[in-house]
Amino acid sequence: MTDEARLKALMLRGLAGDAAAHAALLSAMSGYLRGYFSRRLGAGAADVEDLVQDTLLAIHLRRATYDPAQPFTPWAYAVARYKLLDHFRRVGVRKTVPLEDAGDLFAHENPEEGAVRRDVGKLLDALPARQRQLMRDVKLTGLSMEEAAAKSGMSVTAVKVSVHRGMKTMSGKVRDEDR
Amino acid sequence: MKTDDLIAALAADSAPVAPMAVRGRLALASLVSAAVATAIVLLWLGMRPDIHIAMRTAAFWIKAGYTLSLAACGFALTLRMGRPGARPGPALAVAPAIFAALAALAAVELLLAPAGQRQGDWLGQSWRVCPVLILIVSAPVYLAVVWVLRGMAPTRLRLAGAAAGLLAGGVGASVYGLHCPEMAAAFVVTWYSLGVAACAAVGALLGPRLLRW
Repeated sequence: MTDEARLKALMLRGLAGDAAAHAALLSAMSGYLRGYFSRRLGAGAADVEDLVQDTLLAIHLRRATYDPAQPFTPWAYAVARYKLLDHFRRVGVRKTVPLEDAGDLFAHENPEEGAVRRDVGKLLDALPARQRQLMRDVKLTGLSMEEAAAKSGMSVTAVKVSVHRGMKTMSGKVRDEDR
Repeated sequence: MKTDDLIAALAADSAPVAPMAVRGRLALASLVSAAVATAIVLLWLGMRPDIHIAMRTAAFWIKAGYTLSLAACGFALTLRMGRPGARPGPALAVAPAIFAALAALAAVELLLAPAGQRQGDWLGQSWRVCPVLILIVSAPVYLAVVWVLRGMAPTRLRLAGAAAGLLAGGVGASVYGLHCPEMAAAFVVTWYSLGVAACAAVGALLGPRLLRW
């Protein structure tokens, strides 16, 4: 089944009152949304999960606006895009988000969280200890640069440089592996 | 709150939803607010004294048909623009087409009238106040439609606001017709259209402020 067919079926069953189908839909959507917002927002982990939850809430509360005669994925994408633009508006960023980009939300199938953690752990182990701790603090725990700096006793600038270098090292390793 | 907990909470709240329920809500809101607008017209401006005679003329019904068809246009557009990702599409062309049809009729009417009478027909007695009065009379309808839209999920807030304004203006202009003595198509297509267009414009301006969710 394509994503569209599977998700639309879950949506229709949810609309009819099937709580399990509705939960399955929201779970599936949370995976897609997390990937989409992470790609759009970069590393601010706290913001991404907030946006995921906001969007899930919107999908739930506004589900009556979905017209069953129409495809589901463009409707879901329109909600996600609206919430993303609203987020940018509230934080004062002027950005355009394409109208026709539903593929960007649904194309990347998000792997199991456990698998991601394993891969990331392996990559982190390759880093020097202090850099590894900073990467964990900033990227995984979601500390701000200031908090990580206070925790490690380094300056904010030094933290930023270290994290940036750590990202470069890790993505370099990923590229090597892909080859 | 963990996302999984949120999902569980939302799933527990999944009573069946009738997807077309919003259409009924919009219709009800339009009718109730139209009644309010009617009360405003009758109490404040008064029904035209010759209403029983007027209702026997074609001109009266052409006027009513014009404003009600604009309202219908606004109704369909509002329902459409209330959905995420909706695009107005060809529906945007319907209101201008209705306007063009009446404009053609007005042109013919003016040409058939004696030359000295044309300006009088076109300006009538109340051209200065007509659009403003329509704007005022439409206000309660606009608020009611906005209330319904706030329960929907418009993603194009100016267009949704404009659609709400068109619906409100069409209803308001129709109700205003109970008071207004003007009958010439040239008057209606100019000053009534101006009033309805003003409602749509105000609606569009207020959209981003009123319709966020």
